Amino acid sequence: MPINLWIISSLIFILLRIAPGDPIDAILGSGADQEARELMRIKLGLNQSIKIQYINFIKNLINLNLGDSLSNQEPVIQIIRNALPATIELGLFSILIAIFIGFPLGFVGLRNKNKKYDYISRIIGISSYAIPPFWGAMMMQLIFSVILRVLPIGGRFPIAENPHSITGFLILDSILKNDFNAFQGALYHLALPSITLGFLLSGIFSRSLRLNLEKAYKSDYVDAATCRGINEKNILYNYAFPNALIPIFTITGFAIASLAGGALLIEVTFSWPGLALKLQEAILQRDYNLVQGIVIVTSIIIISINLLIDIMIAFFDPRIKY
Amino acid sequence: MHKLKYYGRIVSITCAVIAIFSQYSCTKKVNPSQNIIIASSGKIESIDPARASTLKSYQLLNALGDTLYELNNEGELIPKLAKYKPIISNDKLKILIKLKKNILFHDGTPFDSYAMKFTIERFQNIGTLNYILNKKIKSIETPTKDLLIINLNKPSSSIKGLLTSINLTPISPKFYQDHFDKFLNNNFIGTGKYELKRFSNEIQTLYPNKSYWGNKTKNKGINFIGYNSSSALYGAFISKQVDVLLSNSIEDTLRYGLNLLNQKEDIKEGKSEPIEISFISLRTNKKPLNNNDIRLAIAKSLNRELIRDKVSFSLRNSASSLIPLILKKDNSVSWPDFDPKGAKRIFRDQGYCDGNILNLPLTFRSNVPTDKLIAFYWQQSIKAEMKDCFSISINGVESTTIYKNLSKGIYPLVILDWTGAYSDPEAYLSPLLSCEKFIENHCLKGESVFSGSFWASEKVEKLFKESESLEGVARLNKLLEIEKLASKSLPYIPIWTSSQKAWAQNNISKPIFNGAGIIKMSELLKNEK
Repeated sequence: MPINLWIISSLIFILLRIAPGDPIDAILGSGADQEARELMRIKLGLNQSIKIQYINFIKNLINLNLGDSLSNQEPVIQIIRNALPATIELGLFSILIAIFIGFPLGFVGLRNKNKKYDYISRIIGISSYAIPPFWGAMMMQLIFSVILRVLPIGGRFPIAENPHSITGFLILDSILKNDFNAFQGALYHLALPSITLGFLLSGIFSRSLRLNLEKAYKSDYVDAATCRGINEKNILYNYAFPNALIPIFTITGFAIASLAGGALLIEVTFSWPGLALKLQEAILQRDYNLVQGIVIVTSIIIISINLLIDIMIAFFDPRIKY
Repeated sequence: MHKLKYYGRIVSITCAVIAIFSQYSCTKKVNPSQNIIIASSGKIESIDPARASTLKSYQLLNALGDTLYELNNEGELIPKLAKYKPIISNDKLKILIKLKKNILFHDGTPFDSYAMKFTIERFQNIGTLNYILNKKIKSIETPTKDLLIINLNKPSSSIKGLLTSINLTPISPKFYQDHFDKFLNNNFIGTGKYELKRFSNEIQTLYPNKSYWGNKTKNKGINFIGYNSSSALYGAFISKQVDVLLSNSIEDTLRYGLNLLNQKEDIKEGKSEPIEISFISLRTNKKPLNNNDIRLAIAKSLNRELIRDKVSFSLRNSASSLIPLILKKDNSVSWPDFDPKGAKRIFRDQGYCDGNILNLPLTFRSNVPTDKLIAFYWQQSIKAEMKDCFSISINGVESTTIYKNLSKGIYPLVILDWTGAYSDPEAYLSPLLSCEKFIENHCLKGESVFSGSFWASEKVEKLFKESESLEGVARLNKLLEIEKLASKSLPYIPIWTSSQKAWAQNNISKPIFNGAGIIKMSELLKNEK
């Protein structure tokens, strides 16, 4: 993990420096004179050589110091701490919705193999891959917000109300505060972005469940169970499904990684104040420290989740040993 | 039977979820907020006047604070926290400003000359745009609580324009004592009509300041919200989730849609005077654009009317000047009009046409939707009128990259825009035309390098210096003379000017703007019925 992080952080450091654009232009605009630019460059430490900047960056990173944002001088860790709960909340609900949509579709497809429902479930599954996230999000906004007017077009909480701020997870905070109105408000705003992202991810789950379940049904242990007279429901829940789930754990890891990319478009379209939106803004402003910080934190999360999934797989499948 | 039970469960869960949402959305419709909800694009990173540099943060600061002066729609200086217009000493090195008394900050501390001194010095110390001010101000004196004296390094008439700057909105020295050398991004204590009740990057809530010294607000509060995409902003307004849509950055097709709704009287539209200018910058220090005749031919090839009609649906004003009309009263200086025959004639005289086609790359900001369309329509118009003489190839580059590369002289032709940092012709001319160090007409160091034109003129520099010690019409004439020189030498070709616009639902009064393009939030009135 430390080696992975060192490679990622070094890569992002180098890529940002070789990318065109200058944080000074983003901060001062194109109208600032040379003197003002130089002063700002010194203030932000960008006048030092790339080598010294890199050494300082790695030194700070070892001390868990991600530095201050170049554009607003706030600690990067604070900005991440404020934005991360929104992204996690959206990601978590999206995965749940993806499972809620994907698993039944996979089941229905398999149970009605090569029949009408199978084709429908396949079309839905493939559509969820094929639909560009920004277009899907805009269509959802158009249908549910503009035409039907049942869900808000964006934001994380009702405009006129103050959210409780304990953990930063608004749904959890409203539960902790026992505020049903705030809970409804948070859920109401979370619904559209999480359903959209969940639908876009559901194809991965429906396709993989269908394939793995089909594979499990063809295996010897299912044949043996059938011969022993175990009923269909028991075979599904105790034999086929647990075995089909193991590869899905791995896929969930990939889904979470792809969530980081998908969430960007969803967060921008739904004005969801999460980490992906911050990353986009930081890239536009060439805020090196913030981009580096967000990429490193996201990498840590993805690596940790994948590690956790590997441990879970080893726990559930005794054949796997590390 | 088992199947029926299974589907029954799914249906009941779905119904329960729908019931929660519908109950919530009904509740919201029955009890709408009494605050007016204003939506705009993007978000506010900071509410610190020393850091503010976006129109959106200016809009908010204008509601939360007062400046010493404000410009009216005629461009005249109107005292706000100042008692009278500024008095300028004979040597033009001292500006005396008498301040109003008995004005309190939102924290209850009094506003006086010390507070103003604190504000200006803090801006000089940490202000993002402090380079505008630092070279001009020598020191600040506060002989009495209601008298402020600004000592200048050299005579400067534009300092009056700077005194309307929202970056110099007075702040409470007591509240900001620990933030003299650092930004306070999420709070603001000023003297304005509204007090800040809640701040997040996306939503800001403003309540009326009950002890405000001037006219009270007409509404019960403002919720200011930012959406990240044009479509979300438009959708929120159309579906009546917001009361007022405030944005100049939404796409022109959506502006057109809103314009049609306004014509049908389904909504109300308010707009400011046009203060943003879009133009093409020509790199004049290298061949072939170092040739004035070629620049003239290119200027004559630009069909502004076609671009205005096709790209902005005639909602913007084509511009033949670098200074917005509001700041100069008449349109006496004019850039060449569209004249394809004249352009062809010049190209031919310069050895082009009939097989020798001048091809130039035109760069536009890929993240600005109108830029791409301007480039496309100009390219097609040239193709239709003079394809045997001149052509352009268009390239989209992200704006931050363009700004970085402008001073490197990478782009022969590039589309840019500019809004003056303060309402004064100088704020439009100086950032585009002034040059510190030059050889003949080529700027080596200075503002025109950063605008990508590299153009310089000894006469222009002389006129800028002369204008510093003048006032009123005499000064304006000097600045117009500079613009006239630019219109002959053509380092830039103006395309159009844009207004700030706001659209309100019919139960809200028509939005109005001040002379600096800032919406007057306190004038918005919600009809409760």
